[in-house]
Amino acid sequence: MTHTGLATDRLSLAYGDRIVIRDLTLQVPERRVTSILGPNGCGKSTLLKALARLIVPTGGEVKLSGQALGAIDTRVLARQLAILPQSPRAPDGITVADLVRRGRTPWRGFLAPWSEDDGRICAQALEQVGLQEMVDRPIDELSGGQRQRAWIALVLAQDTPYLLLDEPTTWLDLAHQLEVLSLLRQRNRDHGTTVVAVLHDLNLAARFSDHLILLGADGLVASGAPDEVVTEDRLRQAFGLEALVVSDPVTGRPLVVPR
Amino acid sequence: MKSSSLVLPLLLLGAVLLSLMIGQVVLSPLQLWTGLWSGTGPGALTLRVLRGPATFTAAGAGAVLGAAGTIFQILLRNPLAAPDVMGFMSGAGLAVVAGVAFGISLPLPLLSAAGGLTAAVAVALLSVRRGPVMQSSLTLILVGIGVSFLASAASSFLITRMPPQEAADAQRWLVGSLAARSWQHAAQVWGLGALMLLVLALQVRALKVLELGDELAAGLGLRPGRARNGLIGTGVLLAAAGVAVAGPVPFVAMMAGPLGMRIAKVTAPGARLCAAAMTGAVVTILADVVARSIVPGVQLPVGVMTGIMGAPYLLWLLSKEAEAGEL
Amino acid sequence: MVLAVAAGLTVLVGVRAASLADVSNALLAFDAADPTQVVIRSVRLPRLVAGLIAGAGLGMAGTVMQAVTRNPLADPGLLGVNAGAAFAVVVGALVTGYSDGGMIAVLTFPGAAMAAIAVFLLGGARHGTAGPVRLTLAGVALNALLLSLISAIILTRSDVLDAFRFWATGSLSQANARPLGLMSVSLVLGGGIAFLAAPRLEALALGSALARGLGSRPGRVQMTALAAITLMTGSAVAVAGPVAFLGLIVPPLSRRLAGHVLRRELLVSAMLGAAILLLADTAGRLIMPPGEIRVGIMTALIGAPAFILMVRRLKPGAFA
Repeated sequence: MTHTGLATDRLSLAYGDRIVIRDLTLQVPERRVTSILGPNGCGKSTLLKALARLIVPTGGEVKLSGQALGAIDTRVLARQLAILPQSPRAPDGITVADLVRRGRTPWRGFLAPWSEDDGRICAQALEQVGLQEMVDRPIDELSGGQRQRAWIALVLAQDTPYLLLDEPTTWLDLAHQLEVLSLLRQRNRDHGTTVVAVLHDLNLAARFSDHLILLGADGLVASGAPDEVVTEDRLRQAFGLEALVVSDPVTGRPLVVPR
Repeated sequence: MKSSSLVLPLLLLGAVLLSLMIGQVVLSPLQLWTGLWSGTGPGALTLRVLRGPATFTAAGAGAVLGAAGTIFQILLRNPLAAPDVMGFMSGAGLAVVAGVAFGISLPLPLLSAAGGLTAAVAVALLSVRRGPVMQSSLTLILVGIGVSFLASAASSFLITRMPPQEAADAQRWLVGSLAARSWQHAAQVWGLGALMLLVLALQVRALKVLELGDELAAGLGLRPGRARNGLIGTGVLLAAAGVAVAGPVPFVAMMAGPLGMRIAKVTAPGARLCAAAMTGAVVTILADVVARSIVPGVQLPVGVMTGIMGAPYLLWLLSKEAEAGEL
Repeated sequence: MVLAVAAGLTVLVGVRAASLADVSNALLAFDAADPTQVVIRSVRLPRLVAGLIAGAGLGMAGTVMQAVTRNPLADPGLLGVNAGAAFAVVVGALVTGYSDGGMIAVLTFPGAAMAAIAVFLLGGARHGTAGPVRLTLAGVALNALLLSLISAIILTRSDVLDAFRFWATGSLSQANARPLGLMSVSLVLGGGIAFLAAPRLEALALGSALARGLGSRPGRVQMTALAAITLMTGSAVAVAGPVAFLGLIVPPLSRRLAGHVLRRELLVSAMLGAAILLLADTAGRLIMPPGEIRVGIMTALIGAPAFILMVRRLKPGAFA
């Protein structure tokens, strides 16, 4: 059991009486892009929320650098770990700049004024997502892809070593999905941010991730590099899917072709 | 400074002046001037004893009610949310009526606060559903309406047990009334209001983060449940302060926020709250002016006028919301 | 069953206790010198009749309303229909100078009709399901408006304060001043219409698109329902003032007793409504002698918790 990074130790999670995750022990690789995959209802989102301390485990624990999440002060944790939930709702009429600014909350003390650092980090985040020209536009006027990028800029402005995202591409068209995922991978490459994302598209996950966690109805099916995880046997085991796995002609990563 | 942000302060000033001049006896601007500066002249007594206190109490009550309403509208993300609709003010009113009926001689603001908080807790507890389904803002609003019905019925019940004169007074107060307000009332609502608004100012940052949703707020280092409860508490106490001096005046809390937002063209929570407070003051003052002068010889209670003004607003809001698919 | 008991209690109980013998004497061999008999004839019996009319009317009106709007939170009081009826009478009495009893009470019908139309349109009942929040709030708004106006009038004309208080909260007192005969006729008329239209209403409950496919004309059915509701509510308010919540709690109970057949539900609602109203009235008279707690307050005290219970029972999808 390593004591670095984000890891679970015999983690069990439940919704009311329904046990969703049972006795799961895994390690999220440091400074890599990891995706969590699996069929509906297998507990992907639940696992991510537990990693973000949004849900309390019913058994076992989640650890960050050897320390149980529950024991870490809320604000300290917020400086380590950022989460972007599914389908966030923006307050009416808020501009891109205002939205991104709120990402600095954990770094600003109770009555602390806006500092130069805060401004610089927000500007960088906006540049990274390519929205620097749109800072004063209200979010409602942006397209779906642009809006999602604005939310990502918010969590980037939070400037944390760990970035967790729950289905960041769900309502986007393919071009925007690729945009968002490339962005996240770039962040990882440039800053060493550990990215963990719940994704529903196997092929995109295989293309952009360094590490995959595949969950099935009965728990963990496989965990490892895309080549190891995306195999015909594993797919059958997790999804009940009969498929052919070939090599993507563009990227060389595994590509799933259902039969 | 945008020009739109000057509109509200100007409106407020205008409303105050209007209120000081108009009533069963109309003062001319000259009379108003002499009355204010020299303290003598035909209007001076009216100003000092009647209109002055009434105007400033109205302003204070309107401000705290407006701020309270907006807090709930931001938290629940629904312009239909407001302490008057959701039973907090009826609860506060009930506590005061009960205090009078049972001869409990606690200060009104205390009774009112106790009633309001009890009602809020009741609404929260009664809205909890079994299972993982989170209560929507709509459930809270409906349960709040039910609590408000219950509180009103209980108040009516208690009133029938009172001697006639007291009963008539209580009945009038329950509609929302600024009659016979003294400078003490004005001081009370401004003092309590200022205190609560200070507390609110400290909570605005949390509000901005809560606006993003509980999960994101937690990720940003806030404790959403705790922050929300704090804001609700502040909102209820603000509303209670208003009820303590003017009775449960309907619709001001609901209208002030959206109207203020529209007039001052602001979107950020802090600015919305300021705009709502000023708008609430303007609305209450003007409603009182109309109420006390529209029928010669009779001073109608301000609550009747806000009821007549507010109901059409609510109906308009409902038709707009339905079009937008919000309901 | 329960109705007979309730009726009996109404007549027998009160500040002055009465016995069955007194009752039969009062009816058959009236002796004007006996105060108990006088009370029975001039107070209790009219009270009984008023209670029957109002209770049956409101119970049935509630059933029809909930069927038309497909909304379990519909009630003539909550949706402002009662307030509309009361308001019309107050304005009429003010304008014409007549006292508020007697023929003026006929104004409840146009008042109820206008309020019902207003709240249905504003609450969106025309375009299919009216969401519970929207309809309830439309009712709250209409009630607030009308009751504020009634308050304004009452406060302006303090000479008629007492008389008009009747129109602010429902009560079965002074029932002999109300046009009971006329209103019983209109109630029966309204009930008859509802009865006849019941099968069409049931089809409507499936949703107007499906109903159209089954050959009914939603617009017409809604108008018919409106007529029935107006007649029944108008009669109720004319004899008892605006009593709320009865139309809310009676329909679910009668559905439990009568099943999902609208005609049977209507019959049961009429009886149940009358019984509950009379019982509430009796309780109101007993709790605080020699005064009474007006029945409108009693129904609110029972009805408001019932409302909350029903809100909790709404399925999450029902808010659409």
